Amino acid sequence: MTATAQQAVNRDDAATHAASPSFLDRHPGFVPALLIAPAAVGIVLFVVVPTILSAVGSLFSIPLAGGAWRFVGFANFQRILTDPMVLQAMGNTIVYSLMTIVPSLVIGLGLALLADRAGRAKPLVRTALFLPMTANLVAMAVVFRWMFAYQGGFVNELLGWFGIGAVNWLGDPHTSLLTVALVGVWRTSSLTMMIFFAGLATVPVSIDEATRAEGIRGLTKLVKVTLPIMRPTVVFACVIAVLTSVQVFDTINVMTQGGPLGSSETLLTMVWKLGFSYYDLGAASALSLLLLLALLGLGILQRRVLAGGNR
Amino acid sequence: MNTALRVVRWLIIALAVLVSLFPFYWVLRTSLAPADQVFFNGISLFPDRIDLGNFARAWTQGGLGQAVLVGALVTGRILVLQLITCIPAAYVLAKVRLRWTGVVLALVLGCVLVPSQVTLVPTFIGINAAGLADTMAGLIVPFLTSAFGIFLLRQQMTAIPEALLEATRVDGLGHVRTLTRVVVPMAAPGIAAFSVFSVFTHWNEYLWPLLVARTPSLRTPPLALAVFQQADAGFDYSALAAGAVIVTAPVVLLFLFAQRQFVQGMSGAEVPG
Repeated sequence: MTATAQQAVNRDDAATHAASPSFLDRHPGFVPALLIAPAAVGIVLFVVVPTILSAVGSLFSIPLAGGAWRFVGFANFQRILTDPMVLQAMGNTIVYSLMTIVPSLVIGLGLALLADRAGRAKPLVRTALFLPMTANLVAMAVVFRWMFAYQGGFVNELLGWFGIGAVNWLGDPHTSLLTVALVGVWRTSSLTMMIFFAGLATVPVSIDEATRAEGIRGLTKLVKVTLPIMRPTVVFACVIAVLTSVQVFDTINVMTQGGPLGSSETLLTMVWKLGFSYYDLGAASALSLLLLLALLGLGILQRRVLAGGNR
Repeated sequence: MNTALRVVRWLIIALAVLVSLFPFYWVLRTSLAPADQVFFNGISLFPDRIDLGNFARAWTQGGLGQAVLVGALVTGRILVLQLITCIPAAYVLAKVRLRWTGVVLALVLGCVLVPSQVTLVPTFIGINAAGLADTMAGLIVPFLTSAFGIFLLRQQMTAIPEALLEATRVDGLGHVRTLTRVVVPMAAPGIAAFSVFSVFTHWNEYLWPLLVARTPSLRTPPLALAVFQQADAGFDYSALAAGAVIVTAPVVLLFLFAQRQFVQGMSGAEVPG
């Protein structure tokens, strides 16, 4: 490279260096936009667009292999809302949620209150009670399947010691949903307990002292003082309990596959079955959209109910 | 009266701890027991000898060895991608005020609330169309960013005092250097909590790999375990239990060593002591 050429390059460098600050000064949003771009692309591609497509797709017949979508109007909704299997799954989801949400919240709160006063054993008790929440659901479903096995399962052996006959927990349509719900409570209680435990830590010590001075104790204190103070925690725990219950999938997929006779089929396992066993992607979209609408409805309802006391 | 209450309290705590821990004990016990001592009838709570061959069978025949490798690669790559995408985005939404940041923040919050199964079918169609079905990339790409992660990190970054950022601006540092030199160190606890949450979530992810991974060599740990249970294992319960231990142990260890970050990541709150 000749000397003049080198000079020219240097001059170019200087020119770009002089120009770049002024460009950035004129466009203060440029660097922030660059910083946010990767996340924005991810969110648009994998949340926004799929959500819109799910809403639109529920009105179409979609071939799995690719190819043209065919507009069918509300036929998908009509099909799922008249399908006894789907209706059974909806009913099961409601029953499952009733069996898991309230018990998980009550047990979680109760254990958090008890463990909070466990003195020096507190960290140990806390660790032990948090453990179910960390467990891999598939692995635990495998374990619970043996524990609830009809022959030789731990639970039936235990009942046998008390003279109670063996129950076909997972094989009987009357008990399969209950059994999966027990596992749900085992796990979700641990999760809500963790949330309540974190919430209790935010209650100021002065409140404890004040209520003691006033002679407010036990349940009265809990309902009138502690719970109102940690309302954001209560709301969060409710939301999490509802979401984990309504969206149950892993445990059912491993423990019962929705059976016997569809007795433990829930919305999400049904979405799966419609979409990827029957290849009816339009119906699967329609059902997942109904689930979203139900969750949104519940969210509004929950906010109303929880806000009710204060407004 | 008071003593009676205390006894009742400790009985309840003891029962709760027992119920919480028993399934873990049971799977550990079964994984160590010889295959003929699996079921409860006629056997004690402790096996009379320990058989580590169960782990060997799970690792090779059950495909858990390959699955652990896949799980580590998938989880690790997702974590790196999410940190790269979420940290800058959270910084912009927490500390930069422009006309569009409010709208973007509202969008992110909205996306936190969309349950994953709503996006499941279209995402699968898209991944299929892009030729990523049954590939490692197909397991990773849909999770390249996390609306929840942006939300959690933004909360943490909002708490950084404005004065500190002003100082770096006076020094003439641009956004990128403010981010790397001030914001990331200050938000480190939140970043740690989110990292733990991300690893936990994606190591345990079952539904998406069940859909995408067809080839046995692409199975993630939970998927490999489920397949092992449904078909290959037959009645080899002790090997299956060993598999369950292999799948569960990394997350339980992560929890035991990083309990504080774990709780913060899961509950969005800090637990003192």
